[in-house]
Amino acid sequence: MNQFVLQHGKSAELRLFPHMLEVGIKKNGSIQLNTFLTTATEGIRIYYIIEGKFEWRINHQPYVFYPGDVAVIMPGAPFGSDNGVLEIGAFTWIHLGIHKGENGHILPGKWSGLSESEGAAIGKILSLNSSPVLSRFNEAGKILKCIHAELFGHEIGYQARINHQVDDLLIQVTRHMTRQSHPGRDFPKTFMRLEQVLRENLSHQWTVEEMAALVGLGTTLFTERVKSYSGFSPINYLINIRISEAIKLLKRPDISVTDIALDTGFYSSQHFSTTFKKLTGYRPSEFRKNHLSNQ
Amino acid sequence: MKCIITIELGTNGIRVFAFDLNGRVIGSMKGYYPTFHTEPDHSEQDPEQIFITTLYVLKNLLNEYIHPKKYKVACICFSAAMHSLLAVDKNGNPLGNAITWSDNRAKKEALELRNSAAGKKLYAATGTPIHPMSPLLKIAWIRSRDAARFRQTSKFLSIKSYIIHQLTGEYLIDYSIASATGLLNIHTVSWEADALQYAGITAAKLPDLAPVFATAGKLKKAYQQSLGLLAETKIIVGSSDGCLATLGDGVKGEGNATITIEDSGAVRVMGPTVLKDDQMRFFNYLLTDNCYVSGGPTNNGGNIFEWFTRQFGDFTNPFDIEHSMQQLIEEASQVPVGSDGLLFLPYLLGERAPIWNANARGAYFGLNIKHERKHFVRATIEGILYEIYSIGKSLGEQRTIKSLSVNGSFGTIPFCTQMIANMFNKPVRLRQQSHSVSFGAWLLSATEMGIYKSLDEAAKTVELPDVYKPHKQHHAVYADYFGIFEKLSTKLFDEFEAIGNLQQKHAVPEELEKKKQSVFR
Repeated sequence: MNQFVLQHGKSAELRLFPHMLEVGIKKNGSIQLNTFLTTATEGIRIYYIIEGKFEWRINHQPYVFYPGDVAVIMPGAPFGSDNGVLEIGAFTWIHLGIHKGENGHILPGKWSGLSESEGAAIGKILSLNSSPVLSRFNEAGKILKCIHAELFGHEIGYQARINHQVDDLLIQVTRHMTRQSHPGRDFPKTFMRLEQVLRENLSHQWTVEEMAALVGLGTTLFTERVKSYSGFSPINYLINIRISEAIKLLKRPDISVTDIALDTGFYSSQHFSTTFKKLTGYRPSEFRKNHLSNQ
Repeated sequence: MKCIITIELGTNGIRVFAFDLNGRVIGSMKGYYPTFHTEPDHSEQDPEQIFITTLYVLKNLLNEYIHPKKYKVACICFSAAMHSLLAVDKNGNPLGNAITWSDNRAKKEALELRNSAAGKKLYAATGTPIHPMSPLLKIAWIRSRDAARFRQTSKFLSIKSYIIHQLTGEYLIDYSIASATGLLNIHTVSWEADALQYAGITAAKLPDLAPVFATAGKLKKAYQQSLGLLAETKIIVGSSDGCLATLGDGVKGEGNATITIEDSGAVRVMGPTVLKDDQMRFFNYLLTDNCYVSGGPTNNGGNIFEWFTRQFGDFTNPFDIEHSMQQLIEEASQVPVGSDGLLFLPYLLGERAPIWNANARGAYFGLNIKHERKHFVRATIEGILYEIYSIGKSLGEQRTIKSLSVNGSFGTIPFCTQMIANMFNKPVRLRQQSHSVSFGAWLLSATEMGIYKSLDEAAKTVELPDVYKPHKQHHAVYADYFGIFEKLSTKLFDEFEAIGNLQQKHAVPEELEKKKQSVFR
């Protein structure tokens, strides 16, 4: 294992990969001050621990990493080690120049083979995840090793292969995250967390694929589970929460019906009005009038 | 053709049934709503979500089973979980979420009142044990800890009262739900002055009392239209799930008791008098004139076996807890009756009846070197049922119980049902269908419509064909071990308190706990 750091703009190896800001392996044999300062950068950083034990602070929270663990640092999140000291051990990392879109989700660029909706879903799930630690995730180490070999080997098709590997890394990281936070024994608990995420992001245009990915399931199994657990299809469950939330907002005189529609995830006040009337029998404005006047 | 619709507002969701006039199920649907735990001891639900879920499920049921077959909906009858509380303003709009029965925020208030002379007097008048579950204490809590909400409150409702108000504009509470609030004098069937005074409210702050048969005016026009129902569709206020499960099992009259085991559990009897008890162990809820549903509730039912399954079950097939439970039950059936002397106290969630000790904790007792995993499985199930038996035994001091019926998801597993028969040494009758609550609501509606002359007559028509007969020798083994179980549950009083205090003293706040987990795995 040789140490190296490749940086975009400085290293020729990365000329064809403008989205890869930095790739490297570091082996640290002695403790020195100010070798690992806290920084926040654009783009997403993925670290894979090879040897040793590292105590790092991500987003102001302390975490401990052991070999096989992965740290995922989202764009803008401060990351470093206390006192700037790097512990003894070895790790490899990749820094991807993936930027946040207008809606705040990270989006892969043109290099990526992910479709727009898959990319958006992965970005959404990564940005919703609260724990940056992925335990025992050797797959990530293998993918990074493969990227290194391709970068230096320059064999036929290496550009495409590297881009595939980066996509694969993002996919595997996302899957690992959702499986880790939803360990499968407890669907009610999983459903409760899903509900919470949906409520907190009600204006997002959720697809079934995204919701399923969020809890680490395939769409077919997910739909079946939600249906048998809640009695609703995933989309109908979502509409239910949207209308419940809208009812609460309609009872407050200070928000316009259009704002309520958009806040609760309907794409227009017309769409809101139709759905609301279909379910409750009232147009939103009628409903509001009934509830604001003394009954 | 006429039909009857029953709406069950349960702890985890809603169940809507359509019955024909012979009591046969035409169709049923369910919908889930979540319980939020925003703070420890808090347990709340979103009233708007419950309302929307009600509309949604009702509408789908009508569209799928009722309208295509040209059924005419004669009435809609409600049932609901007990002890819920929702504060609303003068326009009927909720002030925050509804507080559910499992909410424990008022535990300090409850403890103080329970140990006072005033508490004993209130229990005698209302029949409801002094406990944080009861709306009496929840209102007192809001008054002292959330003064702004208390001031704005125009009415304190139950979830069912809220849903009925949304649909019809009437504020009503039926006798049985009212008698579970801790505010109703069950002897005079009027709001109890001492309870109102304790809660700091007047009767005007509560919905109007109504018999369970009462109809709640007409559905609002918009709902008539959107649901496709006629203006003359009766809205029957109905009763509580506990009362209706008892009625639905045909338990009315002397000699019968019904055992419900879902997450939590209860043993109930129905009769013309209340159970009086100096130790305040039993509840007494009024169903109709001179008809009380009495009994004792346990905190530790199917939820404890679920806990065990999650910890020790096989999850190679992810998400399938039922499958894991089934496997464990098979394993338990290989162990002799009494688990070779391994006893389990199931008090993981503290306990209500009969020991009423919130500090009680779980324990495995009698462990020796021969015990294997399967013994633990069986001992866990036996422990949950010993606890049910101990409630039944204390009820038996006041009522003669000749036979039992069993309902609820955990209770109706054949292995458990047989075990209940053996422990009680009494035959167990079992309904073919598992919807006692909704069937009870059907019996009530049918009586209101004149199909039956009285609830007595209605209850007599309930057929409970399956009989699990007690096994004398097994009963003898259980009786031996139960002696120790009962002694342990009371003898450990001081130790329960000590360990409860230590657990609290050394408790790590949840947030810190999470961080630690992510760091140290």
